Amino acid sequence: MSVALSRRQAFKVMVGLGGTVATGLLPKTAAAEEEHPAHPVAPADAIAMLYDSTVCTGCKACMPACNEANGLPADTLLSGGIWDMPTGLNAQTKNIIELYQDPKSDEFAFVKKQCMHCLDPACVTGCPFGSLKKSDWGAVTWNSSLCIGCRYCEVACPFEVPQFEWKSWNPQIVKCEFCYDQRLKKDLEPACTAACPTGAVIFGKRVDLLAKAKDRIATAPGKYFEERVYGEHEAGGTQVLYLSSVSFQKIGLPKLGTTSIGHYATKVTSHIYKWLSGPIAVSGVLGFFIRRNWNRHELERLEHEKQSGFPDQL
Amino acid sequence: MTSTQPTSDKRGTTLINHWQSGVPVTHGPILTPFVFFLLGVSALGLGLAALRFFSPLGPFSGMNDAYAWGIWKTFNVMTLTALGSGPLALGIAAWVFNRQNLHVVMRTALVSGFLFYATGLVALGFDIGRPWNFYSAILPWRWNSESAMLEISICMPLYCFVFLSFEILPLFLERLYYTGNDKARAFLRHFSPMIRKAYPFLIIGAYVIPLMHQSSLGGLLLLAGTKINPIWQSPAMPLLYLIAAGLCGFAFTIFLLLIVCLRYGRALDADVLNELANLLSGVCVAFLAVRLVDLTMRGELHTAFALNGMSLIFLFESALILTPAVALRFRRVRETPRSLLNMAALACVGGTAYRFIPTSIAYMPPHSTRYFPSAPELFIAAGWIAVGMVGFILAINYFAVLPGEASTWDHTFRPFGWPHKAAGAAYAPSVILERGA
Amino acid sequence: MLQCGISRRSFLVFCTSLMVAAPYGLAITDKKTPEEVAAGLDKVLRPPIIWLHFQDCTGCTESMLQTSAPGFADLILNVISLEYHETLMAGSGLQARQALDEAVKRYAGKFILVVEGSIPTKDHGIYMKIAGRPAMDVLADVGGKAAAIIAIGSCASWGGIPSADPDPTGAVGVADLMPDKSIINIPGCPPNPYTMLGVVLQYAADGTFPETDEQRRPKFAFDRDIHEHCPKRAHFDAGNFVKQYGDEGHREGWCLYEMGCKGPDTHAGCSTRHFNEIPDVWPIGIGAPCIGCTEKAVAFKVPMFQVVQLHTIAAPPTAFAPISTTYSTISPLATGLVGIAVGAAAGAGYIASRKFSRAEDDESVPGSVVPDNKSKPESSDSDRPQL
Repeated sequence: MSVALSRRQAFKVMVGLGGTVATGLLPKTAAAEEEHPAHPVAPADAIAMLYDSTVCTGCKACMPACNEANGLPADTLLSGGIWDMPTGLNAQTKNIIELYQDPKSDEFAFVKKQCMHCLDPACVTGCPFGSLKKSDWGAVTWNSSLCIGCRYCEVACPFEVPQFEWKSWNPQIVKCEFCYDQRLKKDLEPACTAACPTGAVIFGKRVDLLAKAKDRIATAPGKYFEERVYGEHEAGGTQVLYLSSVSFQKIGLPKLGTTSIGHYATKVTSHIYKWLSGPIAVSGVLGFFIRRNWNRHELERLEHEKQSGFPDQL
Repeated sequence: MTSTQPTSDKRGTTLINHWQSGVPVTHGPILTPFVFFLLGVSALGLGLAALRFFSPLGPFSGMNDAYAWGIWKTFNVMTLTALGSGPLALGIAAWVFNRQNLHVVMRTALVSGFLFYATGLVALGFDIGRPWNFYSAILPWRWNSESAMLEISICMPLYCFVFLSFEILPLFLERLYYTGNDKARAFLRHFSPMIRKAYPFLIIGAYVIPLMHQSSLGGLLLLAGTKINPIWQSPAMPLLYLIAAGLCGFAFTIFLLLIVCLRYGRALDADVLNELANLLSGVCVAFLAVRLVDLTMRGELHTAFALNGMSLIFLFESALILTPAVALRFRRVRETPRSLLNMAALACVGGTAYRFIPTSIAYMPPHSTRYFPSAPELFIAAGWIAVGMVGFILAINYFAVLPGEASTWDHTFRPFGWPHKAAGAAYAPSVILERGA
Repeated sequence: MLQCGISRRSFLVFCTSLMVAAPYGLAITDKKTPEEVAAGLDKVLRPPIIWLHFQDCTGCTESMLQTSAPGFADLILNVISLEYHETLMAGSGLQARQALDEAVKRYAGKFILVVEGSIPTKDHGIYMKIAGRPAMDVLADVGGKAAAIIAIGSCASWGGIPSADPDPTGAVGVADLMPDKSIINIPGCPPNPYTMLGVVLQYAADGTFPETDEQRRPKFAFDRDIHEHCPKRAHFDAGNFVKQYGDEGHREGWCLYEMGCKGPDTHAGCSTRHFNEIPDVWPIGIGAPCIGCTEKAVAFKVPMFQVVQLHTIAAPPTAFAPISTTYSTISPLATGLVGIAVGAAAGAGYIASRKFSRAEDDESVPGSVVPDNKSKPESSDSDRPQL
């Protein structure tokens, strides 16, 4: 690069390099307030649900309670208009009791599925215009006026919770919102925990429920699978905790790492895009070379046009 | 600049240097049966797409809640914009790495790139469920700056409808200059220097922005986490998506040039194609190297060579890229049009395969649900592609897009739909020189 | 009481039978022992009752007459003082008129008026006259002086059968004519007599009426729907439905929902308190779907065999969603299309590739002059614009 740099060009390179260096330095100073830590810590007021599969009798009282609280129509497709019979979470079902049954060993377990309300939700990280957001007490809520229907949340969610109304003109993302608007704001517990007659799913502060869950494990050694609480660390921790006597994978809870997915996805890009320093640095470098080659090109062009008699095209 | 003298055939080389500037196609019918076929496909696709306006997404597509993204997103946008990355790949090679002889094929790459992006974005418009909320894109306080989706939804339209459009603007101005009246020419004589002034600054954006969003397309899939097979799911995906975009950009430009030159009887330019083939081979090697390093560092090499279904798909995809990477290192292959065409096609398939597989085949949500696009979904996807193809055919017929010999530049533009002045004398080179654009 | 020939024992037996038979939740029978009930009933001042018939079938009276605990005779002779009842009294004509006038005069503001049957209002009510006066006038006259009105049966409550389409007489219920009066509706066709009995006895005991819902129906009898306590609910939950009268399911006593049973829409106590103290004596018990006679909007308004919408849809207890569901729609058409497209692309790519060789062989300068044929290279590898 033995080209004589003009004063202006030298400035540009310096700005570009400075940007690059700043990019490398900035995250270190800002590490304390990292947006997506690998292992997020639940705030003190974080609420939670604890679902104990060994206590659940599969009465499904939580399902109509949920439908009623959220104004959801029953999914009567399979039952010919008679019962609420969803086959999984869907556009009319924010909460469902599923049954795991091993035909060979008679092993069975119920499992309640709804939004896990992750501490660092992948859906919130991915939502382009902040339609999904982490609201008070950690409830993950959806705002219809910001959603463009890109369905990135469905791709991002490791638990496959958000559901899209495929058959609607004005499709909504349907997911459990912890009864945020319907009940939490009125100081009521969510409809499902309020309806549960056996106490299989209970509501409380996340710290309290975690302690309670560990207590249950400690008092009944060997009863619970792996002697651990699903959701304590999964995907960075969730605000719905599970206890089960059969394998979590068998009851449809995916095997996940302990780092938050948002952290995995943004650990590199968040540094590059911090204050747009990466793109600015790249444009500085590119701009320098383009300017240099442009000048060469212009000289050649004029010469060439003189030679050939044809205009050069851009 | 392209060299002006044709090189003589050495060692049985069959290429000669002919390309000097963009020249419109001036002979042969435009509305061939093939174009009618394409128009039919586009009409069917557009008709169905119009119906989609009056219908929810559900009845139209095979998408479901486990596979929330259908081919409109994964193929028309995430895959085909790789093929449309020619302007990015060639532009960076030409302007940043000073490969000046690539300027002559820029227009081909620009037009094809613009059409890929535009049709992909329109397809995206039909795919999103609540398009009326998209106005948030111009309200920065609503942006979620961590979202790769935000980057794509803002940068892609911005790139296509501002930067790419600016880059193809000279095509239209040139045409207007030759076919317009004196007033238009006077205006353009003033206007063209302004474009030249702005050009080097605007093309910075034209390269930075696709660098951002092409890598963000890979970044999109990072959030899918364990749903994507570990052979593909990797923190290096944004980088690999970007390299694949460059790979497909070069490969598709070679492929397209060869096909159109075959179709319209244009002579080929050894220098330019050689250069492109060299670059393509280099990018292929870079892609494979990054892929290998990535797999090794994540300790997934054994998964990749386990020879089960996913591993075989990986090996097939890598072979598609490895073959041109190796073959194009040989001068003889680079200089034989047929093998060059074959290698470029293989690289195109390989690059697009890498971009497509993690979104579909290797995308395995825990729910044992499958997705296959429904027939209307396919027709709409094919319809947009056909629209792009028709657009390209019209563009090369009405504008100086395809590279050709300057001597064939006779300015007898096709009269179809445009005011045409028969007097050839009015367009002497002296007049053209005044243009300055 | 002894004067009436009632022993303490027989009185306590009466109170016990009241506790058993009268609906739970009624103030009077909420007591724990017959003695407590007796203590309440002791204060009873046999309330005077006037019973008027308008457009009716006398079914409500008939059902009342079948009461066995306490027997109807006990009721009218010992518990209440039935001053006027067109079906039961011996007198007729002028004698009957005088009895009514006297009773109204003597107990003005104190008596309970029981109305059975709807009141015609069309054409100034000329479709029904008693002693030359339209029913409307009679009601206004007698009802105006009553302490409270009990509208027994669906006809008196809101029109009932006479008000069914096309409603030639403009039949309405009591509450429609005297909205401000203290009125208890006991709808049903006929209503369960114990509901009537409970209301009257509570009034007799402490002068109050039971709590009512927005349709003025006493809540103790009408606050839950038939579906909730239906003896055939298990069949509903299990999906055992009668498809046709007389089919196997019907003989097995399966759920009548699909035959148009209005149970899920109908608030009444029928499913727990059968008629005449005989088990299963009520429509669903004998294999006929509920017609929703206690609902203003259902009986005689909705076709009898129309299946009703369920409002609170619960999940069936026996069926569970599996952990993961396979649902996919792969149409052969779509796969075929993709196959054709990929095949065409590969074929076209091969043709294009071969053309280069031919051009090479023919002219030694590739692509310079292509033989003028119309077969153009189509898409290759994947549908992309070329050409």
